[in-house]
Amino acid sequence: MTQTARLRPFVTKGSRFNVRFPGTSLLSWACLISLMLILVGEVMGDEVQNLADLIDRRIEARWKSDGVTPAPRAGDAEYLRRVSLHISGSIPPVADARQFLRDESLDQRRRLVDQLLESPHYITNFSNFWTRVMMPESATDLQGQAQRPGFQAWLRQHLGNNTHYDTMVYELMTTPLAGDRSMNAALQNTGTVSPIAFFTTKQIKPENLAAATSRMFLGIRIECAQCHNHPYDSWKQEQFWGYAAFFAGIERTSRNEDVIGQVKEVFDRRELTIPDHETVVQATYLDGTQPQWRSRVTSRKTLADWMTAKQNPYFAKAVVNRLWGHFFGVGIVDPIDDFGGSNKPSHPELLDELAADFVAHDFDLKYLIRGITASHTYQLSSRKTHDSQNEPQQFARMAVQGLTGEQLFDSIAVAVGHLESFQQQQPFQLNQTGARGEFLELFAPDNNSPTERQTSILQALALMNGQFTSAATSLDQSSTLTAVAEFPWMKTPDRINALYLAALTRKPRPEELERLTKYVDSGGPAKNQKQALADVFWALLNSSEFLFNH
Amino acid sequence: MTDRARLTRRDLIKLSACGAFGSSMSRWLPALANEASKSPDRRRSVILLWMTGGPPQTDTFDMKPGHENGGQFKPIDTSVPGIQICEHLPQVAKLMQYSAPIRSMSTKEGDHTRATYLLRTGNLPQGPIDYPTLGSLFSKELGQENSDLPNFVAVAPYTQFSPAAYGPGFLGPKFAPLVVGDANRVVANGLGMNYDQSLAVKNLSLPQGINVERADARLSLLGDLESDFSSQRPGLNSESHQSAYAAAVRMMRSEAVKAFNLDDEDAKLRDAYGRNQFGQACLLARRLVERGVPFVEVSLNGVGNNQTFAWDTHAQNFTSVKSLLGVLDPAWATLMTDLKDRGLLDSTMIVWMGEFGRTPKINPQMGRDHFPNAWSSVLCGGGIKGGQVVGKTSEDGMKVDDRPVSVQDLFATMCKGLGLDSMKQNVSNVGRPIRLADPTAKPITEIVG
Repeated sequence: MTQTARLRPFVTKGSRFNVRFPGTSLLSWACLISLMLILVGEVMGDEVQNLADLIDRRIEARWKSDGVTPAPRAGDAEYLRRVSLHISGSIPPVADARQFLRDESLDQRRRLVDQLLESPHYITNFSNFWTRVMMPESATDLQGQAQRPGFQAWLRQHLGNNTHYDTMVYELMTTPLAGDRSMNAALQNTGTVSPIAFFTTKQIKPENLAAATSRMFLGIRIECAQCHNHPYDSWKQEQFWGYAAFFAGIERTSRNEDVIGQVKEVFDRRELTIPDHETVVQATYLDGTQPQWRSRVTSRKTLADWMTAKQNPYFAKAVVNRLWGHFFGVGIVDPIDDFGGSNKPSHPELLDELAADFVAHDFDLKYLIRGITASHTYQLSSRKTHDSQNEPQQFARMAVQGLTGEQLFDSIAVAVGHLESFQQQQPFQLNQTGARGEFLELFAPDNNSPTERQTSILQALALMNGQFTSAATSLDQSSTLTAVAEFPWMKTPDRINALYLAALTRKPRPEELERLTKYVDSGGPAKNQKQALADVFWALLNSSEFLFNH
Repeated sequence: MTDRARLTRRDLIKLSACGAFGSSMSRWLPALANEASKSPDRRRSVILLWMTGGPPQTDTFDMKPGHENGGQFKPIDTSVPGIQICEHLPQVAKLMQYSAPIRSMSTKEGDHTRATYLLRTGNLPQGPIDYPTLGSLFSKELGQENSDLPNFVAVAPYTQFSPAAYGPGFLGPKFAPLVVGDANRVVANGLGMNYDQSLAVKNLSLPQGINVERADARLSLLGDLESDFSSQRPGLNSESHQSAYAAAVRMMRSEAVKAFNLDDEDAKLRDAYGRNQFGQACLLARRLVERGVPFVEVSLNGVGNNQTFAWDTHAQNFTSVKSLLGVLDPAWATLMTDLKDRGLLDSTMIVWMGEFGRTPKINPQMGRDHFPNAWSSVLCGGGIKGGQVVGKTSEDGMKVDDRPVSVQDLFATMCKGLGLDSMKQNVSNVGRPIRLADPTAKPITEIVG
């Protein structure tokens, strides 16, 4: 289908060529071009496969040298659920699952990833992802929450266009701050599409911006050097303030600490005084090199040029590692934004090669995602089959990972056929009200690693007894359950199969099926088969298998 | 201990056999309060009275009579000669022998969001480190694993200023508060007057139409799934999931959860606390402490249906503060006498504070603005040598003249009063160990230990 759609413009062109080259039929042109397209596709496809191979080569070499026995390759169902959660932010709907599980073609996993990357859910899921990275304040402070919509709109625009990562960060770093238009518009109309909230949530203070940008974009936690030389790392206080000096030109014009509405930017200010010290430091890059200053170019822009340059030693590695962490639960450097002296990468060559390849592909995020998800390493099962799989940074079995509130809510919504889900994701809604808002508040992710996610008692109570789960497992209110329980020509095992597919994206194992069929046929304590099916669905939705990605 | 935290299928089934709980618990419950107070290894509890928005020191514990900054209220004598406080705290004044007002709090942060974070975590928001709120920090030290009730209960927190200042931070959800009476939603629903409803634990009862037998059957089905999953995919995530479920079920079925049934209390006592959200929440705090909950926080967010940040009195300060004190005084004083009557005051530290104080200078709207430079907090009860005032501000109240106390000093003082080692470290989310209080902090030794 896509093939024909792609060909259509060429076919029209071909007819014109047809006039100039009599004897060559339209059909043969079309054939030739489609062959060329396939070849191009092959070449592109090879690149993704090359990246995947690059990953597997390094990871496997380590298994060999350390005597690690990896887990087997994940089955299709396991892969489908995992990659859907990672890319589109929720489990797959039953219909998609059935279709995928029937597909026996060789490239089915790669095509699935392509589809997921083109779906609007990719945009939603990754705009949440990048918001958590760039504006962690939006989860914690009032001002951050208020400015989240405009920031997310900006992200969505770029993710929708697949703007390459360097361009996106450059735009963020250099976004205009001075003048009434930008700052006031963004503050007063919170729906304005702009990354400016990045600056306001950092109170547009040089030290806050320095700490945030170095950690988020370079993987360097230099902020500890703000007050004193870093105890464990080599960063010195002067280096911190030298980096902060790139933001020294931003000046608030209001004296009131609470008002950050008015800002001007002094183009050629390239130094600042360390607070409570006499020392004046010059703007200096973190790698120690001195900037090439140009007139009428702000220091901020000069910094952005250095930061997003292909030869920057930190930039590509930091983001490659961040995305690796998203897909594997653990970074090659972990914690993922701490490339400190004492925190060594588990696979240094791999990290270098990944970063170089990412740069060679112009910081294309979707390319990186395609490569990672095509790797054999990513496709391993999360089942533990050997003791040597215990070390998370061997990546010898997929880590069990916690879901974010959004992923959890949207997955429940998909499982039970709750249609409100997508509408509720409207980024322009300031106060996320309703079931989703309450849920997100309760399940706001802690900043612990996704492999060490903890459950609170209130979360457990909400999942066990809460209104939303109750509705999901009520025969009057749950679309999935009602359909499964009421459909006349199904036998009990079919019904259980359907519930498993809806919640866990897999079929029950024979012993599970036997056990549950017995339970449902007996009617459970309610002496009612439909109620007993509701009990099964309740257990599925409350299980670790449902509540985690694995 | 760790064995118990890890829940097997067998345990889930055992838990679900609720009969076992019912009989064994009812036997020892009546003796609970007495035993709680006598037991020599009983650890201390904390009740935090949090004044959302920042209460004015000059109209409460650091009166400035005769000065133009003093405002409309008059000082009165207290049970301790020489200490005077506001006339609108008459009952609290009678218990001054148990209380130590600190008049020299000095904190440098005048923005609600950042100051709330500072006072509640001991630190300014700093890059990637998620500091835990003090309830999580202290309940982790004071609490016991596998208790029937959670170790940290927060009543009606108004978290909008700074949600992170109310969470467990790097300690993780295991140390998150059990929140009852969500003030954020109370505001939205106008539930301010309907305090009984707002003080219940959410989702504590089984869904409609599901009886205990059904619930047991469901838990047993869940147990099967869990044992399969954790045998194939062992790890922290599913362990934590299972122990949270076990704790939730334990609480749902425990006798101790009756702490939330305020109707069991004598009507006269309920009246004495004040028939309002804060008063009844203080009563709930006593009932929880009595059942061994080591940290309870109660927020005074406002009066009646205005449950937001009523202490933020930028205009008409005196009218608002007078009505707030009218709620605070009986609740706080009754809490102390009630605890005393039950032999629990010696082991229960009460902390009264907000995120900052308010300007001594009265603005043209008869209001007072944010003021972190020189303000008051109060420590009383367990571990505190009451009847003395800490520090001193200048005549106009604009600066600290004697013994400035920082947030970290206050945290270190609390540690000392609670018998905790402030040098104890927790590993933060960035891998760096963080102590309960900064090593440079100076506890106010004259009022503790």
